[in-house]
Amino acid sequence: MRLSRFLEEKLGALYRAGGRIVGGVYLGKGQEAFAAAMGVQLRMGQDIYGPLIRDQAGRLAFGEPVIETLRTYLGAATGPMKGRDGNIHRGRPRDGYMAMISHLGSLLSVVAGALFARRLKGTLGDSIGATSVGDGATSTGAFHEGMNLAAVEKLPLIVSIANNQYAYSTPNTRQYACENLVDRAKGYGVHGEHVDATDLVSCLTAFRGAAARAKAGEGPQIVVGTLLRLAGHGEHDDASYIPDRKRHTHEARDCIDVAAKFAVQQGWVTEEELVRQMEGIRRLVDQTVAKVSKEPVPDPFKENWQALSTSELVEGQNAS
Amino acid sequence: MPTIPILMPQLGESIAEATIVRILVDSGCSVEAASDLFEVETNKATMSVTAPCAGKVTQIVAVPQTSYAVGSTLAAFEISEEDAQNLGFTDAPQPSIAQQHTTSMADIVENLHFQISDDDVISSPQPKVEPVVGGLPVPAGATGASYISPRMRARMLELGLNASDLAGVPGTGAGGRVTVEDFEAFLRGLEQHRMTKASPMRIAVADSMRRAWTRPLATVGSPIMLDAMLAHRKKANPKPGPALYAIRALALALAENTAVAGRLIGNRIVHPRAIDIGFAVEVEDGVFVPVIREVDKIPLVKLVPTYNKLVEQARARRLPHDMNRPGIATVTNFGTFGIVWATPIPLPEQNLILGLGAGSKVPHWSEEVKQFIPVTEAEITLSFDHRVCDGGAAGRLLKRVAELLQRPEDL
Amino acid sequence: MSGSITYLEAIREAQYDALRNDPAVFLYGQDINTFGGAFKATKNLGKEFPGRVFDSPISEDAMVGLAIGAAIEGARPIVEMQFADFSSIGFNQIVNQAATLYWRTETHCPVTIRLPSGGTAGSGPFHSQSMEAIYAHYPGLVIVTPATVEDAYWMLLDSVALNDPVIYCEHKFLYYHLKSESTGERSLPIGKARIARPGRHATVVTYSAMVHDAIRAAEELQLDGYQIEVVDLRSVKPMDTDTILGSVARTGRLLAVGEAFPWGGVTAEVISRVASEGFHLLDAPPMRLNAKDTPIPYHPNLWKAHRPTVSSIAGALRSLLRY
Repeated sequence: MRLSRFLEEKLGALYRAGGRIVGGVYLGKGQEAFAAAMGVQLRMGQDIYGPLIRDQAGRLAFGEPVIETLRTYLGAATGPMKGRDGNIHRGRPRDGYMAMISHLGSLLSVVAGALFARRLKGTLGDSIGATSVGDGATSTGAFHEGMNLAAVEKLPLIVSIANNQYAYSTPNTRQYACENLVDRAKGYGVHGEHVDATDLVSCLTAFRGAAARAKAGEGPQIVVGTLLRLAGHGEHDDASYIPDRKRHTHEARDCIDVAAKFAVQQGWVTEEELVRQMEGIRRLVDQTVAKVSKEPVPDPFKENWQALSTSELVEGQNAS
Repeated sequence: MPTIPILMPQLGESIAEATIVRILVDSGCSVEAASDLFEVETNKATMSVTAPCAGKVTQIVAVPQTSYAVGSTLAAFEISEEDAQNLGFTDAPQPSIAQQHTTSMADIVENLHFQISDDDVISSPQPKVEPVVGGLPVPAGATGASYISPRMRARMLELGLNASDLAGVPGTGAGGRVTVEDFEAFLRGLEQHRMTKASPMRIAVADSMRRAWTRPLATVGSPIMLDAMLAHRKKANPKPGPALYAIRALALALAENTAVAGRLIGNRIVHPRAIDIGFAVEVEDGVFVPVIREVDKIPLVKLVPTYNKLVEQARARRLPHDMNRPGIATVTNFGTFGIVWATPIPLPEQNLILGLGAGSKVPHWSEEVKQFIPVTEAEITLSFDHRVCDGGAAGRLLKRVAELLQRPEDL
Repeated sequence: MSGSITYLEAIREAQYDALRNDPAVFLYGQDINTFGGAFKATKNLGKEFPGRVFDSPISEDAMVGLAIGAAIEGARPIVEMQFADFSSIGFNQIVNQAATLYWRTETHCPVTIRLPSGGTAGSGPFHSQSMEAIYAHYPGLVIVTPATVEDAYWMLLDSVALNDPVIYCEHKFLYYHLKSESTGERSLPIGKARIARPGRHATVVTYSAMVHDAIRAAEELQLDGYQIEVVDLRSVKPMDTDTILGSVARTGRLLAVGEAFPWGGVTAEVISRVASEGFHLLDAPPMRLNAKDTPIPYHPNLWKAHRPTVSSIAGALRSLLRY
């Protein structure tokens, strides 16, 4: 969580400094606990993860190396997307790490499909899938279709809904009319939980339970977390539409502060250790930024401009 | 008995469609050859569609007050085997309107959501072809090779041919245009003839003339008396040729009004920058046109060496190449061939060409002595681009040249 | 009837063989299991391959999404859209997820999406559409449009074998009307067009059911002594430009015929390629013939006038030949 926060702050700083970041920067500030709590339930190489826009902490928890994040943001040709797609769209689908597209809710059915195929092959075992949406994405047809289909197919899919109060600038009141998004679970016939997403412990408990039920064959699991996005929609957005009173509510607590205080209280860690940890994080991020900055960027003349994997069907290339 | 389609005929050049005004027969009725079947109207005339031979109208597809593209099926017509043979409908397949439905409903497998009926067969009678058939731009008045398709152009480039080479090719395409098939047939026809290679000079002259001929050209002519000039020439040293007198006279006349020698480019007359005059020199299999610079500024006698040198160079095919400043007009002395009158063609980059006919002794009525006296007379001609000037202006220029030639001492 | 197979049966047969040959293949679509599909293209397949043929909820978006996820995991799903028209609901997954996957992540996406396409009388605006041009517009998709029983069979097998997403446009009109002795031998690969009828006076480039109308129109013109060449594109993307240009080089005249709407589309693409790469081959302006620029009408009288027909193709050819 702290690595995620620091990394994202670094990305924000690089973005604002101009010229370094290719494309936009969309941060998950305030959503680290909720995202990481789901990410730690998943085993890279075994489970399937379909993160969305504010899941940096979840990605790191799932096992994405810092260098992968930075290579994408800094536009290095060495990154997983090779400059063909950017930033939050990164992924390695063959490793069960799905690469989101911008159309909200559309990864639900894709993660479901991966689980479906494994079940068909008989390789599902106790692997699970997980994907994230926000309050806004719950209004899409793709979310509904995907959720319903996963429920019909009874797939071991965890769907986290980070209710961060605003979809870009649109408040919840213009997004849905039910009392709590978790009420929808009943409609889909799946298990639903609602947690205070500023509290890491509650998040961990909820996702651990969801993962266990999914593995036990109880079908899709919805976990709704209430929190407040502590940043703009992207770094270009000052979030002026969030009124001041909102910034002082319980949901506006910084989940990292809450978690750190709790860990110190419990005696799991000392303040000094936290400072030392932070030093390590800073070193890792700075060194990685320096390394990636020296890496080659995509070259349009060397690019293999073909959208099909079957070369002989690429138009203009079969003449030879 | 065979069934043939009655088609909308081609009712004139550039007619792409016609409207059915009235149907003159009923389905099922038998008619004689040349009976009127339909009354149709184009934007030019009202005409009849007739039966090609005796037969029976088995089906009428056309609907009155509807427009049909040329070639559209209007009716089905049953005729005898013999007539079918005569009309060229031999072993060809039946037209679509006579097609049989071959699939029966029983063949259709169960389809609970959605029924596809056998009646949907696409070949059921189609009343109209418009407007899914877009009209093709038939080039109006494109008879012969005046319109050249991209394929024709490519083929002509490949063979090094020009549009004027195809002047004699009859066209069978829309508006009488020459199609590629016509063209290839023409080429095959050429193979029957003896062919020799044209010289480069011939080809160069042909190119120049082809370009020159793109303009509306006209010629005016006038007789002049050469006696004064001949007398002057006898005394002169060195002796200028008759053409040089004409060159100098034309230069002086043009210096007084350069507009006549201008070229029309778009909506502007482009005036000459200097009075540079060319003259035709015959060489083997062609003509060269050397140019003398600023003829208006140099007296006649001083022009003689320049003129002689250029003639020599031209005959030796060693003319200095100065394409940057072609002449503004040309003088040709066709009189040297004994020709009295001709209509020479101005070079493509020029508006004027002055021609000199052969002189001959003729009786001339003299008012002074009240009797015929012998004089040497010749015709001079001036061909010009009629877009740039009219007969009046050209005639005035020619008269002025004639006048100047009467006073050779001023040249 | 013995020994004969319809276009629809060939599609079923190909799916049967795909399921039998490769355990990674499964079928996903509405009403396709016990019911055998709205057109019976999967009749008995559920029985013959238990656990491999699935009834899906009416969720075209999620159906395609599921297929993509499964393909990422190495499966080779065949998705049946009940009608091509409904694939618009799954459009986003097809063009944004499936089509971009390989380019973005170098992950193969061997999904085949079957679109029962094209018009039949009385089907109206939402059960008659031809969607090939819309999908062909997007990079990363292969769009096949089989016109024969043989192609229906082999191209479906080839589609399933491809590692790229394929939009398989099967024409509903041909389902029952088109028959062949057998599914024949594998002939041309995807991406190669076929000379369906040789000729020398004009070329008709077309695909899917219109191939048959074009051939009938060509037969009609034979009465007038014209030999019309008919090119069956087989796959509209990739489009076999070489074969098209080769044909126009022989004939000098081009008519592109498609059942789809006129704006843009496959016929426009054919003409644009010939105009830009084969301008020097044309002895007449290239022509195109499409459906009218309105939604597809319900009543048979209107429907028949809406789309190209044998007689309108013949009419267009006559105009073209007279030029």
